[in-house]
Amino acid sequence: MPSEINDAALDYLLARAGLNLTAEQKAELKTVHAGLAAMAERVRKPRGRMAEPALGYGFNEGDLA
Amino acid sequence: MSDAIPTIAEAARQIAAKQLSPVELTRACLARIHALDGELHAFVHLTEERALADARAAERAIMAGGPKGRLHGIPIGLKDIVDTKGIPTTCGSKFLQDNIPDTDAACAEKLAAAGTVLVGKLTTHEFADGGPSFDLPAPPARNPWNTEHFTAGSSSGTGAAVAAGLILGGIGTDTGGSIRGPAALCGIAGIKPTYGLVSRAGVAPAAYSLDHIGPMAWTAEDCALMLQALAGHDPRDPASASRPIPNYTALLGSGIKGLKIGVIHHFHEVDHKVSEGTQRGITAALATFRDLGAELREVQLSPLQDWAACGSLISITERAAAYEEWSRTRLGDFSERMRSRLMLGAFVSGVDYVQAVRRRRELRAELQAAMAGLDAVLTATQPAEAAKIDAVPKWDLFEKPGFMMPFNIAGYPAVSVCAGFGAGGLPVAIQLAGKPFEEPTLFRVADAFEKATPFRSQRPAMTSVN
Repeated sequence: MPSEINDAALDYLLARAGLNLTAEQKAELKTVHAGLAAMAERVRKPRGRMAEPALGYGFNEGDLA
Repeated sequence: MSDAIPTIAEAARQIAAKQLSPVELTRACLARIHALDGELHAFVHLTEERALADARAAERAIMAGGPKGRLHGIPIGLKDIVDTKGIPTTCGSKFLQDNIPDTDAACAEKLAAAGTVLVGKLTTHEFADGGPSFDLPAPPARNPWNTEHFTAGSSSGTGAAVAAGLILGGIGTDTGGSIRGPAALCGIAGIKPTYGLVSRAGVAPAAYSLDHIGPMAWTAEDCALMLQALAGHDPRDPASASRPIPNYTALLGSGIKGLKIGVIHHFHEVDHKVSEGTQRGITAALATFRDLGAELREVQLSPLQDWAACGSLISITERAAAYEEWSRTRLGDFSERMRSRLMLGAFVSGVDYVQAVRRRRELRAELQAAMAGLDAVLTATQPAEAAKIDAVPKWDLFEKPGFMMPFNIAGYPAVSVCAGFGAGGLPVAIQLAGKPFEEPTLFRVADAFEKATPFRSQRPAMTSVN
């Protein structure tokens, strides 16, 4: 995710999310985009395609019955 | 009865010895609520009549055959995101002002079965996120140590109510620190158990894979007594663990000589340097653990910023998914702070989310390796004493990283206990985390610390006015 976001990109993302924001809300959201972009960058590591995500749940005894 | 506010353990002993009546105990809590809650706003809904009826029923049963357990006749409260049959459950939101569930959440059901007396529903941030908010139907809870200050959240009412003795214990929920944070700032104990140990059935979600339910009380021992009633498999919760439930108080009082505690110094000294008061509390706590015979070891993990990024991306996305329908149709009905959090969901792509969940696996493996040979690890719970309630940044998510999220990401149990008082006489705390399902060891360490320090003998000044 690029750290800067322009109005067209913001409008596209908001439309995709189905969110209707006021001009003031959009302006505020733009100010925190860089922070979120930095987080997204931070979780990316050179780990290769075989590295799997954490599984949400394990199997319980009941699942195996 | 004495004016002193008993712990659950003390009250249980007195009730069993027929020296304390559950009705008197409940009346004392209600009297404190009527005296103090106008200022604290810890409760959003009182169940006074039911509480007195339940207390009378408990008293009759105890007089006839003794208590059925150590929670029998104990006044408690539930965070208002916990479904309660026939009792309003608003989640602190305009959306659910008229919501009256027709079933109890699993945790409410279990505490009722243990004989507790439900005094009411407790203030929460809207759907357990954001806050403090002043644009919700109910005002935010305030800190009993100084009502101009924040409680932290989102289990804000539970923290305030327990500290002020309005209840002896309560339920909180914790997605990135919502049990431990208010426990720390309100000077009480609170445990986020291992993921899956306590059923989430009937509790409003914040972020499914990070959500935990747990007890908050004056002491770690009281939390252990509550967890005993709460833990256990529940097929209604898809993440519920199927494990034997140990005796959570079995190791209390056995000392901690020889136990190995890892200290994650860089979390609170480098990655996010804590306040002087908090650092003093941590330094003194380490000396206490040494005096008690524990071995302290240095632990190095990935920077706190890595854990925060991973947890925030997961949390933002799962919350946006949970509340997507209302976000699309009634965004303006959320509080400003909750709305802001929901809006962030638009920025996180599916790939970002999966990368975060891949990072989660790596971080969890890192913690698992670091904890090999250790009984617990220690760091701060909160970076500083409670801020003024009107000075809490809206976008704190992007400020310095919190200390609690690592254990939500990993699913490991973590407890916060009071470690003294800092600036303005406000509480400071330490956080201890253990291996999965090793809550008995965590309680052993936390209880030994509380009993070796004087902090459990001091309640907020406002409680002595009555």
